[in-house]
Amino acid sequence: MKFGIFYELSVPRPWDREAERKVYMNALEQVRLADELGFDQVWAVEHHFLEEYSHCSAPELFLTACAMQTKNIHVGHGIVICVPEFNHPIRIAERAAVLDILSGGRLEFGTGRSATWTELGGFRVNPDDTKKSWDEFVHCIPKMWMQERFSYEGKYFSMPSRAVLPKPYQKPHPPMWVAVTSPGTELDAADRGIGSLGVSFTTFAEQEAKVKEYRRRIQNCNPVGGFVNNQVNTVNFLFCHEESETGTKIGMRMIQHFNYLAAQLDMAKEAYPTKSYPSAGLLPSLRRQASSPGELGKAPEGIAVGNPAHLIQELKKWEACGADRVSFMLNAAEIIPQEQLLNSLRLFAKEVMPAFAESQPARVAAGGGR
Amino acid sequence: MPLFGKQDVQAAAARAPLMNGFGTEVWELKNAEILQLSFEVVEGPAEWLVPPALHPSIPPYATLSVARFPTSPVGPFALAQVRLVVRAGIRPRGYLLGAYTNSEQAAAELRARWGFTVDLGTLTIDPRHDRVIGQVVRGGQTILEMELENPEQISGSDVTYLDSLHLARIMENGKETLVIVQVDPEYVFHNAERGKPRLLSLQADAWGGDGRLRCTNPMTATFCHGDTDLPKLRFGMDPSAPAVQGSRRLAA
Repeated sequence: MKFGIFYELSVPRPWDREAERKVYMNALEQVRLADELGFDQVWAVEHHFLEEYSHCSAPELFLTACAMQTKNIHVGHGIVICVPEFNHPIRIAERAAVLDILSGGRLEFGTGRSATWTELGGFRVNPDDTKKSWDEFVHCIPKMWMQERFSYEGKYFSMPSRAVLPKPYQKPHPPMWVAVTSPGTELDAADRGIGSLGVSFTTFAEQEAKVKEYRRRIQNCNPVGGFVNNQVNTVNFLFCHEESETGTKIGMRMIQHFNYLAAQLDMAKEAYPTKSYPSAGLLPSLRRQASSPGELGKAPEGIAVGNPAHLIQELKKWEACGADRVSFMLNAAEIIPQEQLLNSLRLFAKEVMPAFAESQPARVAAGGGR
Repeated sequence: MPLFGKQDVQAAAARAPLMNGFGTEVWELKNAEILQLSFEVVEGPAEWLVPPALHPSIPPYATLSVARFPTSPVGPFALAQVRLVVRAGIRPRGYLLGAYTNSEQAAAELRARWGFTVDLGTLTIDPRHDRVIGQVVRGGQTILEMELENPEQISGSDVTYLDSLHLARIMENGKETLVIVQVDPEYVFHNAERGKPRLLSLQADAWGGDGRLRCTNPMTATFCHGDTDLPKLRFGMDPSAPAVQGSRRLAA
């Protein structure tokens, strides 16, 4: 099993001149340390307008800075929004190729479509269309990379024959992923031969069932790219401390704060009824569950906060569910002081990582990436 | 920390109804028709419509609805509501700014049992093939007129109507106190349509918006048929303390 770190770059109010810079600089210091400690990937989201929750609207720039300051760690778009109002697919292909070149072939290319009205409404996107435009983009972008020239007439974009340049450093192209939040997107990933990048929290049982179905379907996929990226990445929080109680307490504070900020955003499924963003509760009677305004929400299952022994135990369960990789959220709104966070990373690398050194290798089909 | 509301709840209390306790029974409302439109609103002024217990959502938006209930314990009635979408802790809710009904008896019950700030008016829903029109008239003056344009069939399971929060007064321990009660109806939709929202007129002052509710970016419109209810009250909140600290359970 491989481990990565995952950034939303949340910035607490007040937003004075130094607030955002501090969050970015702290993150870069964490990434440098993670690279030295043997973490495998750093992922950055693309979000817009998400006050306090995420100020990471130009991940390609942040990831370029990461790449320039590290040697081995892979830099991952987690994700690029494949919706024309946000990003033209030619520009996505170009920027990703440059990042792959500058990083020396360390790019992981995650795709997605945004899940909030805050963002979709901000760019005046029709939520009905995002899954369709995503599909068009993920079919075209690898061809832009692999073919010398590319032309296309589609619904969400068209272009005459042009050479989309530069081409990525990895051949035939970087590993492709899709963010899985809505139910069924893991099947979209499998059918297209791309990795399943879990970015929402789930239970062991759900994860196991999803991975099983993903592995089954990807055997018969019609790959959008030049190879099949048969991998499952799940997301988690991380705070590791020698003392179980301290680790749990600090980690839980971070999780609650993250959940609190996330809950302030207008989710697409809440604001705009469409089958493109299905409601969480298909059975209306379930909507009454756990709806006290006084609750902060429960911590998801298998969270990696606590002492090293506990983390090993929980991460082994994720491994047993079939996850190839786990990416960790390290902080939320700078709740955890930087030095404590760096110590958490060091302790994790020293005490937890070795327990997974013998894990099975990633399931990338021959000829893929790297 | 997200922004908190800046409403002067003591001033807002002047409009808040006096409730008859928290022990209401459930009203079943079968075969209801609900027209609801949503619009983003101008942020700055909207913060003054949200109590300090709650957060404005990001971005803040309002839901405007007109509903018809052909059966209820007080007979048929219609109900129009203007709500501002907020967060009570981590929960999305619609904070009621103002409501109108066409039934005097319903108005009295809605105030006393569920804390609706509700007045009397003439309410209409006019479903046509190319649009559904909702209108509220008070004292001969139109205070809300809105349309769902170009209705198209969608699945009822894709529609989410948020639970409501009502600012009300109640006698507790011999003293009148302010409380926000959560009203969380169940919905089972047999038919649902979605279309483009169009706001023809909204007199914000008539809905307790104090001129501060300014609708901007249209979001969506739905017209649903189905069964709903007015439930038992389950949770209450102190309007002045953050919801995660000031909430209490009222009934199972």
